[in-house]
Amino acid sequence: MAAPSYPAWVTRWVSGQWRNKKRPPTLRPPRALALADKVANRREQSTEATCITEMSVMMACWKQNDFNDVPCAEEIRAFYDCVAKAEKERRNQNEDTLSSRGNLPSSKVNKLLKRFPQITHYV
Amino acid sequence: MAAPSAAGLGRRLRAWLPRIMPVRWSRYNPSYLEPEVKKESHQKPLEELTEEERELMELKAVRPIKAAPPSLSSSVFSDPMISKFTNMMMKSGNKVLARNLMSQTLEAIKRKQLEKYHKAPENEKETIECNPYVIFHQALKNCQPIIGLSNITRGGKTYQVPVPLTDNRKRFLAMKWLITECRENKHRRTLMPEKLSQELLQAFNNEGPVIKRKHVLHKMAEANRAYAHFRWW
Repeated sequence: MAAPSYPAWVTRWVSGQWRNKKRPPTLRPPRALALADKVANRREQSTEATCITEMSVMMACWKQNDFNDVPCAEEIRAFYDCVAKAEKERRNQNEDTLSSRGNLPSSKVNKLLKRFPQITHYV
Repeated sequence: MAAPSAAGLGRRLRAWLPRIMPVRWSRYNPSYLEPEVKKESHQKPLEELTEEERELMELKAVRPIKAAPPSLSSSVFSDPMISKFTNMMMKSGNKVLARNLMSQTLEAIKRKQLEKYHKAPENEKETIECNPYVIFHQALKNCQPIIGLSNITRGGKTYQVPVPLTDNRKRFLAMKWLITECRENKHRRTLMPEKLSQELLQAFNNEGPVIKRKHVLHKMAEANRAYAHFRWW
């Protein structure tokens, strides 16, 4: 929609022409005062690295035991479990629900909004 | 006139041919089913089958089945890890040679272990492992790295970031290191079975150059652990 055309009396009334208080036209919307059917494109924030604590625990164990794997078997197993869990979560993450941080990428939001557009006309 | 059009036709035909001739992959109709190779599943009596298995059997009567690839075997002696290792050792498609080398390697391992077994005193005889397959699997497991490094570029600079590896990647790296070590860092005149059996036995005992290479990788990952936050997965 182009700049909406309000009736002329609205513009003259708002401008204060009938009250001797001329002020610059306040209603100057360059675009329609209605919600658009899309959101601006936002750069998607990258997720954090997973399993950092497990990895640092395992590396501390390595440093103590001269990088021998046998005494560090517990830590290594914990690291593997964490990695497997993170991988499974990444796979199961349904893209249509909210991500782990509660955001929805702008493309998904636009798709949803397109399905339910703003009605700006008389039906 | 005739010559350019013939050349153009030939080029276009050659570009179109890969679509109808399978090149390095197979293109079956989706209705084709996978072949069942395990003998036990065919020897089960009809009453023991569950509902899905009965349905599968009925489906198999109607649908066509894909041809079994030559690497798939129903033998008790076939081992997928050994097959993978043989394929990685293979050069220019000479599978016969690669398979012979692999069997000679396993034989060499067995011979060395048996020699040790017969020379050992009575109380130590149980500790010596003579099964070459067990030694192969344990050596491969000992050689697998636990964490890897990957190049991540941030602000123009490339960093080596410690990264967890998938199982396939670990297996591949272990096998690759073993084969490269045998091919490059040994005396020119030693045969592959001899070199490989020596490497595998050393890896089984957690010593040797391949284990050292794994430790070097772990040390580099430990040194770079500050960059671990550059990962985004």
